[in-house]
Amino acid sequence: MSLANRMALASEHVHALTVEANEFPELSRQFGVSGVPRTVINRAGAFVGALPEAQFVETALKLAGVDIEPAPDGG
Amino acid sequence: MAILSEGVREQLRARFAERLRGPVELTLYTRPGSGRLILPSGVGCATCDEARELAEELRDAAPDKVSLEIVDVSATPDANVTEVPTLRVAAPGGDPRIAWQGLPGGFEFATVVDAMERVSAADPGLSEQTLAWLERLQADLEVMVFATPT
Repeated sequence: MSLANRMALASEHVHALTVEANEFPELSRQFGVSGVPRTVINRAGAFVGALPEAQFVETALKLAGVDIEPAPDGG
Repeated sequence: MAILSEGVREQLRARFAERLRGPVELTLYTRPGSGRLILPSGVGCATCDEARELAEELRDAAPDKVSLEIVDVSATPDANVTEVPTLRVAAPGGDPRIAWQGLPGGFEFATVVDAMERVSAADPGLSEQTLAWLERLQADLEVMVFATPT
């Protein structure tokens, strides 16, 4: 299960949407998709690649402007 | 024609029998199809028929626990969904916060299966650190992941 889905299961504030990029080329262009997985936070900030849990969540929350402590081991 | 082979369907039945802890609701938003054409947003649906087959096969793998509602957005304007097919997974009565837009094939199919199992068990399987971070959220957060079927 993707980390986005697991975050949505854990928090009522999180909504996870996985988009099949080839089927929605306009949306993919809109969000600058040139490689996958590309994760877009609140339709603004984004990052590319499959990250370990701590790094994924930390990056997503920071892009959303949530103040968190850094992961102790980066992963 | 079935999307999943008989072998995969049998594996799915066995897996759900073991791992689905409670009921799961699937909602599939569709629009009358237009074959395999890629059409502008809001027109037709290239993969709705396949998505419907797939969702029905997921339900049929554990019909005692999995329910499926199919919503034709062209006939249900208040569905508030414009892009199809869209598949949502939720616990009964829960807010459906996990969704796929497009046919969830390949690796994404595995994420649907896993999501159904985790939702049924209410087990996100995240670390204590992650759960603590998520508790700091005060506003809604959308995590949109672009993927491909391979």
